[in-house]
Amino acid sequence: MMTPGGSGRFRPLPTAMYAGYSGTASSWVAKTSVSASGKRIQREMAELNVDPPTDCSAGPKGDNLYHWIATIIGPLGTPYEGGIFFLDIIFPSDYPFKPPKVVFKTRIYHCNVDTAGNLSVEILRDSWSPALTITKVLQAMRSIFLKPEPYNPALPVITRLYLSDREKHDEVAKEWTLRFAK
Amino acid sequence: MFSSGNVTARIFERQIGSPPPGASVNRARHFYENLVPSFTLYDVECPDHCFRKFTEDGLFLISFSRNHQELIVYRPSWLSYSTDSEDNPPPLPRRASKFDSFFTQLYSVNLASANELICKDFFLYFHAHRFGLFATSTAQIHDSAPSPGAVPGVPSIDKITFVLLRLDDGVILDERVFLHDFVNLAYNMGVFLYDDLLAILSLRYQKIHLLQIRDSGHLVDAREIGYFCREDDELFLNSNSQMMMTQDKNKQQSLSGNREDDAENGLHQSLPNAENSFLSGIKQRLLSFIFREIWNEESDNKLRVQNLKKKFYFHFQDYVDLIIWKVQFLDRHHLLIKFGSVDGGVGRNADHLPAFFAVYNMETTDIVAFYQNSAEDLYQLFEQFSDHFTVSSSSPFMNFVTSHSNSVHALEQLKYMKNKANIFPQFVKKMLVSLPFSCQSQSPSPYFDQSLFRFDEKLISAADRHRQSSDNPIKFISRRQPQTLKFKIKPGPECGSADGRSKKICSFLFHPHLPLAISIQQTLFMPPSVVNIHFRR
Repeated sequence: MMTPGGSGRFRPLPTAMYAGYSGTASSWVAKTSVSASGKRIQREMAELNVDPPTDCSAGPKGDNLYHWIATIIGPLGTPYEGGIFFLDIIFPSDYPFKPPKVVFKTRIYHCNVDTAGNLSVEILRDSWSPALTITKVLQAMRSIFLKPEPYNPALPVITRLYLSDREKHDEVAKEWTLRFAK
Repeated sequence: MFSSGNVTARIFERQIGSPPPGASVNRARHFYENLVPSFTLYDVECPDHCFRKFTEDGLFLISFSRNHQELIVYRPSWLSYSTDSEDNPPPLPRRASKFDSFFTQLYSVNLASANELICKDFFLYFHAHRFGLFATSTAQIHDSAPSPGAVPGVPSIDKITFVLLRLDDGVILDERVFLHDFVNLAYNMGVFLYDDLLAILSLRYQKIHLLQIRDSGHLVDAREIGYFCREDDELFLNSNSQMMMTQDKNKQQSLSGNREDDAENGLHQSLPNAENSFLSGIKQRLLSFIFREIWNEESDNKLRVQNLKKKFYFHFQDYVDLIIWKVQFLDRHHLLIKFGSVDGGVGRNADHLPAFFAVYNMETTDIVAFYQNSAEDLYQLFEQFSDHFTVSSSSPFMNFVTSHSNSVHALEQLKYMKNKANIFPQFVKKMLVSLPFSCQSQSPSPYFDQSLFRFDEKLISAADRHRQSSDNPIKFISRRQPQTLKFKIKPGPECGSADGRSKKICSFLFHPHLPLAISIQQTLFMPPSVVNIHFRR
């Protein structure tokens, strides 16, 4: 999972190089659009700093504004309690018109996270709207810890267990948290 | 404390008074002031081997053949001879001044085969059962081809074999082979033995292999720490993902393939090393520990977010890129792990690079503490409790190895250096370079006990190292009678070497409790080395 610009943490790079994680972004990106998305991300960062959601925090990795790391503390009372979950958040160069991509760096047993760690929730797919912000995304991620979205699963096996035998599901998820997320 | 330096007077004193409780061994060791290896046999005729060291109980002298294929083990014995000379002391007969009169060869075993060589800087002694651990390896490849799961930039060795051998009779008990891997074998750096537990650090695959030496002489895998933390994590994950995969596939067939991505992901899952997006087990523990520390530092939500951004997220990749450099046991459950960048793990001069220390509990799989290598609080621990870092085997002699927390003299010297240092953080870094300690790297000989003797630590010390040697003899001065020279050790030929310019490298092997030592001097251009035997006549 390498992003262009991710390797250049220590030296300033021309802004255009930050652009583009996703394949959808064209190789040539207009400077204006980059700085527009950059400005937007910066504004959202300020907003996040003023009013951070519970148990969540996030910040740019190194000096790359388009690649963030987020941390979610496993909410109390859920099988994820006691875990610290790290996530990659990658903003496309045409953010906020495209949703950011969220990938778990910590293994988790959750029906909305596939075996490679890719998160799939409604608001990062079809219900994405440019009005949403990083704070909202973090809130949404925390809420799937509390209440998974079984009707939009990345791993149907887990969903099936979640819907049919909640107790067993929680037990397995707890074991995963203990093993991989402590 | 004896009031007299005279050995007869001391024996009388010992008869009439008892030492303070618990100090009888310390008192007995004072006799070493009277029994010193002050007599030197220069350039002794001896087999042309690489002499490695005395085992810590003094039972064996370990040496390797020059071609690095064979292990030759000697039993040290005390010189005995008869003479009809009237002189007092009588001159040593010619026949007595030989290597053979001090050491009896027990056996010689071939350890290396074909293109493998014995690593002559590696040897660990398992005192309880008198087992020796040796290593053989093929040549090191620096520009090794990258392989999945391997850290780029770390060299590779095609084959490293660890051989466990019963030193009593030279029988090979067990072997453990590492293929295309890299373990730092020089001076036991990459391997640590604690009781019966053996930690082998694979630098290339960033794994701490934990093995147990059984009484039967078998090496048994206990666990691996690195990509996973618990011994059954991989099994757990594989069985879980297999279940997910098979069920996914069934689903797929019914859904007729509009979910190809998931199938691909599922397939990758079966090879845990093929996908590197997840943090390794030990990194997850490390990062979550650092995160928690910063999180708990500040209770105000806004300041906390600011703090995390500056101290954690900004450096996140640097923390992820850290590799394990060195490992030691602190006790049966805790490891002291040093982390650093890739350049420092292999390179020699890594002192200036940032490095971190972590204390890891293997049972709970938690990081207990985390320090940077300039951390003052870690230095304070090191200064006051140095003996807790130098934990080692159960051999009684090892408890007397001088450290600055068991000897006021060593502490005084350390404090002197501390006060002399201009920049304190730099001094801390310099001192903490010795952590984690290399296993069995210090000689327990009483002549290195700083409460008994004073000597120039630049020329000689308990640490098992080659040193540059000068033509001047090394003086051992009594600690309690500061003017009294007790004995001298002079490596090299008696009259000094003819060529004063060529660099000479010297190593010293001291017997752990007898007044007996060997010094080996080599010049750079490999004429046979000069071996001197120092002993008490």
